[in-house]
Amino acid sequence: MFQLKSWPQFVLLPLAAGVCAVWVGMVCLVFCSRLSGMKAASICGNAQAECHFLSLANLFDRVIQHSARMHGISNDLHSEFELYFLPSKNQVSRVGRNCHTSNILTPNGKENAQRIEREELTEVIMKLLAAWRDPLWHFHQSVARNHRFNGYGSNKSLEMSDMAHELRKGVQKVVEKMQTLGVISNSVGGLASPEALLAADGSGWRFMKDSDLLYCFRRDSNKIQNYLKILKCRIVPEHGC
Amino acid sequence: MLRARMRRRLGLAVLLMLSAALRCRSASPPGKPVLIGCRSPEKETFTCWWEPGFNGGLPTRHRLFYEKEGSEEVHECPDYWSAGKNSCFFGKEQTSIWVEYSLTVVAFNALGNTSSDLFKIDDVMKIVKPYTPENVTVLVNDTANTPYLCVSWNHPPKVDTKSGWTTIKYELRVQKEDNKPEIFHPNKKNSFKVYNVDPGATYTVDMRCQLDQSSWSEWSTASVVKIPNYFQNEKPFWILVSIFSVIPLLATICIVVLKRKFVKQWLLPPVPGPKIRGVDVQLLKSGRAEDVINALIGNQNFPPAAAWMDQTEEYLLVSDSNDWLLTDPYISQKKKSLVIPAGVQLEIQCRTSAPAQSDCENAEVGKDGKVEPDHLAQTKESVLNVAAPSVSSGSKEAASGNAAGPTGYVDIQQHKGTQGAGPNAAQWDYSWVKEVNGETIFILKNEDAAAGLDVPGWEENTAADYSRVKEVNGDDVVLLQKHDSADSSCKKKEDRSAEWTNQKAKSRHGSDCGKGACLQIAGNGYVDSVPRFYVE
Repeated sequence: MFQLKSWPQFVLLPLAAGVCAVWVGMVCLVFCSRLSGMKAASICGNAQAECHFLSLANLFDRVIQHSARMHGISNDLHSEFELYFLPSKNQVSRVGRNCHTSNILTPNGKENAQRIEREELTEVIMKLLAAWRDPLWHFHQSVARNHRFNGYGSNKSLEMSDMAHELRKGVQKVVEKMQTLGVISNSVGGLASPEALLAADGSGWRFMKDSDLLYCFRRDSNKIQNYLKILKCRIVPEHGC
Repeated sequence: MLRARMRRRLGLAVLLMLSAALRCRSASPPGKPVLIGCRSPEKETFTCWWEPGFNGGLPTRHRLFYEKEGSEEVHECPDYWSAGKNSCFFGKEQTSIWVEYSLTVVAFNALGNTSSDLFKIDDVMKIVKPYTPENVTVLVNDTANTPYLCVSWNHPPKVDTKSGWTTIKYELRVQKEDNKPEIFHPNKKNSFKVYNVDPGATYTVDMRCQLDQSSWSEWSTASVVKIPNYFQNEKPFWILVSIFSVIPLLATICIVVLKRKFVKQWLLPPVPGPKIRGVDVQLLKSGRAEDVINALIGNQNFPPAAAWMDQTEEYLLVSDSNDWLLTDPYISQKKKSLVIPAGVQLEIQCRTSAPAQSDCENAEVGKDGKVEPDHLAQTKESVLNVAAPSVSSGSKEAASGNAAGPTGYVDIQQHKGTQGAGPNAAQWDYSWVKEVNGETIFILKNEDAAAGLDVPGWEENTAADYSRVKEVNGDDVVLLQKHDSADSSCKKKEDRSAEWTNQKAKSRHGSDCGKGACLQIAGNGYVDSVPRFYVE
């Protein structure tokens, strides 16, 4: 009986030590693998070209995600606006509805979007984003000032304006990357291109009603999202198209 | 009364005839058609359906007209037949996304036309609703012990998945028998595995999909699968196993029951009562003392005490002549006595390495029975070397063995018969042995005690018999000195002690003692059995 009592002690101690060692080993392994995995993903050592293509797809994914989120917010705002401020759909409003971005020629279908040049498509995206910078900011100011919406609406308008701004910068980066890689020519204008300025300068948006503004932006954000997707699958088709 | 009734009936009949005539004769313009709805299955084309009104009794033709946003031009439906009756199919060329459509259906017949209400499509994106996913197949994979369902499908027809124009999202619904259905959202395009399935249950699986946050498609046709039940397959095996295990169990139980007593004895053996070998319990119960003692002790063989005493006696025997030792009957009668004949120099072996005699304590029995250290007698015989042959071998051990009592005393005896040299040959000198340490015997010398010391009277001179420890040097030498009030004795001792003691002579002055010679012993002045304190 004496032996039985002392037996667990002799077994438990090395067993516990073994379990600890195994656990430590596994944690180290996991960390090492994660580190090595992260290393492989973040640092492109060897071929410059491979590295660039991979990161371009990544950039595209990010801007597409961003644009999807922006469209979601605009959709929510528009629905809420219609629910509270326009309970009855008015046919008359149809006549008056005119988005300030109507002068920008945008492809209205898949074939059209695939047919036009990459540079043109990129230009369209840039123009649209440029055209909405000021109106969104103005809209947010008016909402905050006049307390038109509740707190939810005010937050969303600010978020929408910020996201549009961020997306514009992101797309600019993508354009630069593409130009560096030689995917598109350098003819694509930047943020300060004359077309963009022209579009942004149009003061037609100041007289737009809020409902029309929201409606127009919802549509344009959807356009931007789809164009980016088309562009990505035209340039880097091997990554999730 | 009768006349009124007849008139009423006549009026009714006339009315009926008139209406029938009217109906048969007059055609009317068509009734108003109603646009039911439109649908785009893949975000590239769309179809609209309407419900025609009453045709007015004449052949009626319906035409659809639409206007696009930003243009006043009115277009007519390009395709009235592809999508069936009362429908209009808009092809890729006519479809524009993000453009508002205004549709009207006009019914024409010979008598006129009737337009429906305006039907507006804000955006083709809003009317997108894909078809159901195709080829939804469910397979039961029951490898190992964990079965799972493997669901596979294809994308809905006509949807372009390559160009990135649409992003398809699928939804999978799994329902176990009549429970609440479970919804999954597969990430992969073509397959999905459902793991939490129970063997023996029936599952219904169907799917639907969505394009870019559009409306969901209809549910696909349900697939019903049944997971095989494992235990049924293995049922006969388990039956056999249970039968074969029950038989030995029953047999064991029968044996245990039938042989209860045997099992009980084996498991729980009775504890025997106490029993002493050779002792009769009945005898003990009778209670007679002799019987009890004989019973308890009779069987033992104790060695005779006398023999033991003789042995100890022999070990300490010191004598000058071998004859005396052998023949002297006195020896056997003495207990623990060390007989030192006069003139015999008692040499005590010292453990210290220094072979100088000054280190060792030499005691010499003088003629008067005193033990004097100075004289070197005829023979130097150590205590341990002297004695009967029987003793010599074991003397060393005996010497140490005799140190059982630290207060054992040693008889320094002068034998009359043998020596005849000293006048007090018969006198016995008693000294206290301070300590027998291994091979060294420390003898406490008693001078005054030589003047007549008797065995019975030793208690009187107890005080005088005690020697004081001069010094404890290490653990092998204790230097003893008999302390006396008289100076003469001290002086003598001084001489002796000079020989005896080490060079370290720390001594505190005693009452009358000379310097460095006598000891001042703390406490009661006597050396304790245990040399705990050092005499300074």
